Amino acid sequence: MWQTWVSSYRLYFQMVSASIRAQMQYRYAFFMNILGWAMSYAGTAVTMWVMLHSFESIEGWTLWELIFLFALAILSWGVCVLFFFHFRSLDQYIVNGTFDRFLVRPIHPFFHFMAMKFDIGAFGQLLFSVLALSIAFWKLELSWGFVKWAVLFGAVMGGALIQGGILVLISAMAFWTTRSERFYWVVMFPTKSMMNFPLTLYPRLLQWFFIFIVPFAFVNYLPALFLLEKSHPSYSPLWGTLSPFVGLIFFWFCFRIWMAGLNRYKSTGS
Amino acid sequence: MVQELRMYLEFSRKAFQRSAAYRFDAWTRLFSNIIFLFMWGFIWYGLYAGKEEVGGITFEAMLSYIVISQMLQGIHGAGTPLWEIQERVRSGDIAMEMMRPYDYPTRTLFSDFGNILFHMLTAVLPLYIVLFWLIDLQTPTSLFQWGIFVLSALLGYLIRYSIELTFGLFTFWLIETGGVEDIFYFSISLFSGSVIPLWFFPGWLETVARFLPFQGIFFVPNAIFVGQIQGEAIVSALLIQVAWLVICFGLLRWVWSKASLKIVVQGG
Repeated sequence: MWQTWVSSYRLYFQMVSASIRAQMQYRYAFFMNILGWAMSYAGTAVTMWVMLHSFESIEGWTLWELIFLFALAILSWGVCVLFFFHFRSLDQYIVNGTFDRFLVRPIHPFFHFMAMKFDIGAFGQLLFSVLALSIAFWKLELSWGFVKWAVLFGAVMGGALIQGGILVLISAMAFWTTRSERFYWVVMFPTKSMMNFPLTLYPRLLQWFFIFIVPFAFVNYLPALFLLEKSHPSYSPLWGTLSPFVGLIFFWFCFRIWMAGLNRYKSTGS
Repeated sequence: MVQELRMYLEFSRKAFQRSAAYRFDAWTRLFSNIIFLFMWGFIWYGLYAGKEEVGGITFEAMLSYIVISQMLQGIHGAGTPLWEIQERVRSGDIAMEMMRPYDYPTRTLFSDFGNILFHMLTAVLPLYIVLFWLIDLQTPTSLFQWGIFVLSALLGYLIRYSIELTFGLFTFWLIETGGVEDIFYFSISLFSGSVIPLWFFPGWLETVARFLPFQGIFFVPNAIFVGQIQGEAIVSALLIQVAWLVICFGLLRWVWSKASLKIVVQGG
């Protein structure tokens, strides 16, 4: 058992370093990409600033609190993109018949598919979110003890697992419908955009949906309540500390669905 | 001339039929449009927070602004997106288009008309008619206002087409287009007034936006729809749109003529 873990671990790093080298071949494109991503998130932040210029606050969240909420989501999204973003294009492998190669090798297909790419384009998300969080941290004059830093770390890990889980779920759709990328753009991308704003803007039923069914609320809203010491009559800030556990459970669940889909998979031939 | 028009209309007809074959795409696009409508509706509801009006704009007018803006965005969504133009240039497919006896920019426009007509008739209009019927929203009060709105929306689409295609053609000179894409999408989401009307901008930023062509894409038609541009202001707003259309279209033709000379086919 221990030995398989060690050898998988080594293999993962070998595959990841190959993937990074491949992506670094186009160095100019790589830097432009990172800059582009960072800029487009900065664009959303500017939109928030314009919006709050005349209105001051939304649902009791001021500009920098809102930026904090947004940047927290992007930070965990960046971590998630590193490992899981390429899952959305599983449909291409299935349609082209190239998915079979993941099945004939002596490593776990999920692990193999995951290790295929380590998307360093995510440095754009990380660059933006770390900068934005630092500025928000300074503007809001926060000072945190150990507990809060731990909760932040937990929120980033949990958030990456939750969003990664959704990507895995979307990719599993390809086993049944031979489509997945489209679901990302049509369902996950708009939903993710909704979560850049305080959850309580939306109707109660939807809030529960994002807490108990697709736990997006644990990515940024609930942890931000705890970290910024905001209170809300319906949700205790303590819920935000649960992010890593929710992330683990949700990810495991999505992984099981992916495996169920895999068992159902029949090659399209070529 | 008539014959040429007939040829281009044939492209519209074919595009319409192709859209009909890929209905799944139209409906999924509509789905994400609904989510964004929902999101911006609740954001503005939250911003108003029970206030009847802010800066002379009632909540009802603001909500109507967002709904009509999302409808126009839904319609625009059926046009050729920027990345597709970039992909055509990058893959060299555009060389094939240039060899054929038609003008590529015009051909794209007419194909888009076909796609948009299908998407509009089968997805966007039915949804938004129901929405306007269900929710208490502000609509134009006279036939004249309706007519001006449609005219302005059409001008808006043509401005967008000119700008988007011009940005797409920049791919001829650039190997990496990430930056161009971001400038385009940022401008089209903020300066066009698609989600925040220009009158809520900070003063200096509003001045900047007023000197840019993007306002003509969504802001002017939306504002006409909710009656915020009235009387003589309508004439000047339409004139601004026409002026920007002339400039952007001229720029497009100029860039296109340069691009045709600059063709570099990568790969074989």
